Amino acid sequence: MSRNSNAQSGARALFERVHGMKSGNILIVFVAIQIIAIGASLAFPENFRYLSTSNLQVLFRSIPTLGIIAMGVNLLMISGEFDLSVGSTFALASLVMAKLFNAGTPLIVAILLAVALGIAVGGINGYIVVKSNVPSFIITLGSMWFWRGIVLLLSQASNEAFNPGPTMTNVFTASIGPVQVQFLWFVAIAILCWLLLERHRLGNHFFATGGNVNAARALGINVKRIKMTGFMILGGLASLSGIISTTRVNNVSPIQGEGLELQAIAACVIGGTALMGGRGSVLGAFLGAALLFTVQDVLLLLRAPGYYLRLFVGLIIVLAVVLNEILRKK
Amino acid sequence: MSETTNGNVPYIEMKNITKYYGGTIRALHDVNFQINRREIVGLVGDNGAGKSTLIKIISGVLQPTEGQIFVEGEEKKFTSSKIAMDSGIETIYQDMNLIDCMDIMRNIFCGRETTDAAGFLDLKEMRERAMHLLKNEVTIEGIRSPDQLVGNLSGGQKQAVSIARAMFFKNQVLLLDEPTSALSVRETHAFLDHIQKLREEGLSIVLVTHNIFHAYQVADRFFLLSQGECVLDVEKSETDIDELTRIIVAH
Repeated sequence: MSRNSNAQSGARALFERVHGMKSGNILIVFVAIQIIAIGASLAFPENFRYLSTSNLQVLFRSIPTLGIIAMGVNLLMISGEFDLSVGSTFALASLVMAKLFNAGTPLIVAILLAVALGIAVGGINGYIVVKSNVPSFIITLGSMWFWRGIVLLLSQASNEAFNPGPTMTNVFTASIGPVQVQFLWFVAIAILCWLLLERHRLGNHFFATGGNVNAARALGINVKRIKMTGFMILGGLASLSGIISTTRVNNVSPIQGEGLELQAIAACVIGGTALMGGRGSVLGAFLGAALLFTVQDVLLLLRAPGYYLRLFVGLIIVLAVVLNEILRKK
Repeated sequence: MSETTNGNVPYIEMKNITKYYGGTIRALHDVNFQINRREIVGLVGDNGAGKSTLIKIISGVLQPTEGQIFVEGEEKKFTSSKIAMDSGIETIYQDMNLIDCMDIMRNIFCGRETTDAAGFLDLKEMRERAMHLLKNEVTIEGIRSPDQLVGNLSGGQKQAVSIARAMFFKNQVLLLDEPTSALSVRETHAFLDHIQKLREEGLSIVLVTHNIFHAYQVADRFFLLSQGECVLDVEKSETDIDELTRIIVAH
C-alpha cells in the first residue's frame, strides 16, 4: 500500500514537473494524443494503421518541412517580430538552387548560394523593419508578395525540374527504417536552436528584446541587431527547408510554400510562443509542428473527408491560444 | 562652481546641456548638473520640466544637442547606454527596466552575462552569484530563489531586484526615475531607508521625483527644473521644506 502511494506521489511529482515546464502543457497534450493513437493502432491494427512503416514515413517526411521553418519563426517571434514572407523565401531559394544547378553550377555551390539568398532576404526584411519602425507584419506582408512575384517571374509560372543525383537525395531524404533523414535534420536544427535560445547569450537577448524592448535597450542590448539576426536565421532556415523539400519531390513549383508562413506561426502558438514576444520554447514549437501533422494524419487514417483537416486545425489553434492565455494568467 | 565642497572633482559633471527634440521643441536649456560622490541628489520638478530628458542624457539613451559630460573630470561622449553603464552609471526607470517573462537571475545578468569565449552562458556560475547576492547582500522580502519569475513579483520586490542588479555590478551612480510611484507606503519607507544605506556604502544617487516630501527625507541637495531650465540648486542645509515647496509652486 505504501508502495502504491509512493508511486502515486511520484507520478504526481512528475506531472507537476512537466506541467511547470515552459512547454509542459503542449507536452502533456502531445503525449496524450500519441498514447491514444498508439493504443488505437495496437487495438485495431488493420483499420487504424498509425504504427505502420508507411504511415510513420509519411509523418517523418511531412513534419520537417514545416518544423524547420517553425524553429526560425519561433526565434523571431520571441524577439517580438513576425515574418510572413518565409513561404516565398522557401520557394525562391528552391527555384534559384534548381536553376543554378540546371545551368551547370556545382551542386554544393548552388545549395550554399540558395541558403545565402534566404539569409539575405531575411536580412532585407529585418533591415527595413528596424529602420522604418513599421510593424514587421506589414513589411513582410509586402515582401511575401514581392518575392512570390519574383519567383513567378523567374519561373515563368512553370515548374522547374531538379534531379541532383543520389548523394544529395540520400543526405536530405534517405530512409532509415521508418525514420527519414530530413527528420534527423529537423532534430539537429531544433537542438541548435535550443542551445542558442536557452544556453547562449544571444538567446537571452532574444527573450529580453521581445519581453521588454525598452528595458533591453536600457541594459545595453542592441535590439535592432538582435531582430536582424532573428530575421536572417529564419531566412536561412526557410531556404534549407525549401531545399530539402525540393530534393524530395525533384521539382520546384512556383506556388510551393504558400501558406507555410501561417502554419509555422500556428505551430509556434500551439507550442506556447507568445504573439507579443518574450515567451516561447523550442520544444513547444517542435511539438506544435508535430501535433499539427499528427492530427492531420489521424484524420486521414480515420478516412475523414479532406475539409475536416482545416476545420480541426482551426479549432486546435484557437483552443491552444485560449488555453495558454488562461494558464498564463493563473 | 565645478569644485565640490571637499575639493574633489565631482563624479559626474554636465555642462551647458541643451536638448531640442526634432529641432524645435526645447526640452532642456543650458543646464549645469553635477553628481558628487556619496551624495543623494533630489532632482525635482513638475511633469514636463525636463527631468526625464536629463536622466536619459546621463544614461546615454539620448544625446544632448549641445553641452559636455565629464566623468571624474574627463570628458566622455555618452552615445549609448552601454557607455554610460561602463562609466558606472545605472538607471532604474519608472517603467522598470526588468523583463517580466525572465527569471531574477537572467534579469540580473541581462546584457552582462557570464559566458565562455563562444558566448555560451555559464548558468551555474551566474546562479551561484545571484544566490549569494540575494542571500547575503540584498535580501528582498519574499524572494528565496533567483529562479523566480520577475513578472510574479510585487512593485517593491521588482524595485529591489533592480537595485540589487545595480549594486551587483558595483556601479558608482544610481539614477532612480520616480522610484516610489509604484510602491506602497510601507515599501516606500523601506526603500528610502535602503538608499541611505547605499550612500553610506559609497554610492551616489539621483532621485528623480515630483514628490518633494520623499526627496526631502533623504536628499543632501536639491536640483529643481522648470520648463527645461535649472531654477534652484541648493544644499539641504541651506533650505527647508517650506522654502522648497514655495519655489516649486511658484514655478
